Amino acid sequence: MVLELRNAKKTFGEGNTLVEALKETNFKVERGELVAVIGPSGSGKSTFLTIAGGLQAPSEGQVIINGNELSKLNEKQRSKIRLQEIGFILQASNLVPFLSVDEQLELLNKVKKGNMPNDERQQLYKDLGITKLRKSYPSDLSGGERQRVAIAKALFSNPAIILADEPTASLDSDRAFEVMELLQHETKSKQTATIVVTHDIRLIKYFDKVYRMTDGVLELDMTAYE
Amino acid sequence: MFLAWSEIKRNKLRFLLITSILLLVSFLVFFLSGLAAGLANMNREAVDKWHAQAVVLTEESDKSLYQSSLDKGEADGLGAKETAVIGQMGSIADNGKVKKNVVLFGIEPEGFIMPKVSEGEVAFSVENGVIASDVLKDEGFAIGDTLELSSSDTKLEIIGFTDQARFNAAPVLYIDLDDLQHLKFGDAAEINADLVNAIVVKDTNWSKLKVPEDLEIIEVENFIKNLPGYTEQNMTLTYMIYFLFVISAAIVAIFLYVLTVQKISMFGLMKAQGISSGYLAKSVVAQTFILATIGVVVGFGLTWLAGSFLPSAVPVQFDLQTMIIYGLILITVAILGAVISVWTIIRIDPLEAIGG
Ligand SMILES: Nc1ncnc2c1ncn2[C@@H]1O[C@H](COP(=O)(O)OP(=O)(O)OP(=O)(O)O)[C@@H](O)[C@H]1O
Ligand SMILES: [Mg+2]
Repeated sequence: MVLELRNAKKTFGEGNTLVEALKETNFKVERGELVAVIGPSGSGKSTFLTIAGGLQAPSEGQVIINGNELSKLNEKQRSKIRLQEIGFILQASNLVPFLSVDEQLELLNKVKKGNMPNDERQQLYKDLGITKLRKSYPSDLSGGERQRVAIAKALFSNPAIILADEPTASLDSDRAFEVMELLQHETKSKQTATIVVTHDIRLIKYFDKVYRMTDGVLELDMTAYE
Repeated sequence: MFLAWSEIKRNKLRFLLITSILLLVSFLVFFLSGLAAGLANMNREAVDKWHAQAVVLTEESDKSLYQSSLDKGEADGLGAKETAVIGQMGSIADNGKVKKNVVLFGIEPEGFIMPKVSEGEVAFSVENGVIASDVLKDEGFAIGDTLELSSSDTKLEIIGFTDQARFNAAPVLYIDLDDLQHLKFGDAAEINADLVNAIVVKDTNWSKLKVPEDLEIIEVENFIKNLPGYTEQNMTLTYMIYFLFVISAAIVAIFLYVLTVQKISMFGLMKAQGISSGYLAKSVVAQTFILATIGVVVGFGLTWLAGSFLPSAVPVQFDLQTMIIYGLILITVAILGAVISVWTIIRIDPLEAIGG
């Protein structure tokens, strides 16, 4: 089990203003699994994803990544887990504006343990169709290209888990399908556990499992494929 | 370093601005330090030339050479390794073309105050012959010039020049003590033949010497500090330099802080991805170090260049050691200016950067 939430719960505020953003949740994802979390705005999807990614702690319960229980770690150690085990793909561009595509990955190469050999990196570029963009800066890229570079960053040196929050929100349908195909391909070939939060139900065909979030309750959605 | 340098390369103009400000500040610091040293030197070089440790003056004189008057026989009673007596008088010297404020040092030719001559006669070969500070050469004085003094009818003749001979901002004329006594006391010269202003002591154990009650022995540095205006002038310039350190820290702090605030969401994203605050903070510090070092080094070069174009009347004197110390302080102070930015980076919550 790569990622597991046990009785995890998240509340904000107290008394009258108390919001249960995530009600008691049990969740597991395995390597090679591509999972969607869908649901209306404000239902708690981002809250779920950031807790799963160790960016915020649950109010109650546990988050276990690759055998590490996050609540037992300090921020520095959690930061390390994020760096080594998780690849994030976010809605907004998560590229560093002053680094070229090559440098974006070089930065990770510098801070991450277990360097990615150059030939593997070239293969990653090829898989994502960004070989020609290596020297370009984010401001010169289209939205879809940027997202592909973001995926390359997330996949860099093979993390166990990929967490994506609305990775296709800024893309038109064709680009969105392309990105999903890529994620599907990488999930299967690299055996990552991939969780994608999305509004877009047209993308559902790419996923192995679909979860639906309603008012902080996460449930497996059996009807999604119909 | 990688992140720091990549950003500088990509945003050259931005960083050129901050570097050029640091360059100007360091130029000003270096220049002021040169000016401070130059002005200090104008006051003290003739004293430094003694290579002595202490000066004996009268208690009443309050450490002023001008006001002190004592019997040169006291020198023998001190028991110091080496002593030299000095009679002193201020005057205006006129060679017929130029008038110049000067200080006369009446000395015994065999004493250690006798200067090394850079040009002209090496001894007081003629009556009322003087060995003059070579700054007078630039003012239009030459060997063989006859000098009229404001305070006496006696005429002096320049017989030689020596370097590094200014005292309290005035060029020194070295003259035989006997000649000086005539200038100074006129008809009373015979009676006052033994009256000098001070005894200069060369003895590293000077503090153990016994001096008569009405006399006082003080360290040379202390003597210099009490020259009229010397300490005040030095302090003014030193405070200006210190103030510039504060200013450069503030400039760097504000500039870096603005840059950091602009990048908060980017830093947040990087932190979300697991890049540590430490790495990001180091990158900001490295950036500051790079920029400050470039600014200071270029400022240093510029100061040197400007110095070589200055007319000799501008009293700047660059001391490499002082400049290096000030340069290092500037770099350190700039890095201190980065502290606020580092603090800001550490406090960024990656969650906020990611948003909902
Ligand atoms: N830091 C916070 N403080 C208070 N309330 C919060 C906080 N973060 C989230 N919430 C609340 O928790 C609930 C879930 O928010 P969340 O961002 O997880 O929704 P979401 O499903 O991601 O919505 P969207 O689709 O619009 O992104 C919302 O009611 C939100 O107002
Ligand atoms: Mg959200």
